[in-house]
Amino acid sequence: MESHSILKESQIMKIHYVTGIAAIFVVAVHILMRLIVPFELSLEYDYIISNYKNIFYVLILESILVLVSVHGFNGIRIILLELRQNKAWENMTTIVTISAMIALIAYGTRTIILVNGL
Amino acid sequence: MKEIEQPSRNNLEGLKGWLNPSRYGWERISYWFQRLTGVFLLIYFIGHVYETSTIVNGQNAWESFLELTQTVWGHLFLILVIGACTFHSANGIRLIFTHSGIGLGTPGRPDYPYSPSSLNYRQKSGIWIALILAAAAMYYGFNILFGE
Repeated sequence: MESHSILKESQIMKIHYVTGIAAIFVVAVHILMRLIVPFELSLEYDYIISNYKNIFYVLILESILVLVSVHGFNGIRIILLELRQNKAWENMTTIVTISAMIALIAYGTRTIILVNGL
Repeated sequence: MKEIEQPSRNNLEGLKGWLNPSRYGWERISYWFQRLTGVFLLIYFIGHVYETSTIVNGQNAWESFLELTQTVWGHLFLILVIGACTFHSANGIRLIFTHSGIGLGTPGRPDYPYSPSSLNYRQKSGIWIALILAAAAMYYGFNILFGE
């Protein structure tokens, strides 16, 4: 049977590495936002809301959401493919991980949009 | 293209074999940690996305959910997350270099005791650097979370 994968595994690994490296930088900015003020203050409701009103920070949050979701769920897919190899398992793993990734990105984006409008 | 016939799975150890850190030395433990920290961080990330979504329901909902996490156990869990995140990042960078052929050394004649040249001191020190950075980040996190 012909393989109908859109991307080769080598291309998917490159995406995995690029999303991993990019995630390190955006997560570092996210952590710095918690450290430029005293930690307790950084978790206060008004401070968090003001973060979500800052368009630069919103872009950082959305980037974290997309990069970590793609990297994380692809990592799970890789682990599951290491455990078992056949066409049905591979297809099922790909569908489940991509669906979970889309669901998490959609849920997180919903939070960002709603809080930005508060 | 003809599909390859699937062999019997009787010879596979499955999850038990995957979780076995012995037999292969430090590189195997690094492989194991990379996957365990990855799964742990994804579970944390999903929880974190859910936790932050409570802010949509207003200040009371946010503060009552925050009370659940701002405890000694919550802080200890966060310190574990910091350590896992630092190890996964540093070891991940080592793996990217390794996958690109950097730090593998040159092929040599296999002589007794047949140590593979790819598992050289650069690779081993990379694993140690990742572990030391994780410990340092956990110490820093401990001071931030418990130092006030």
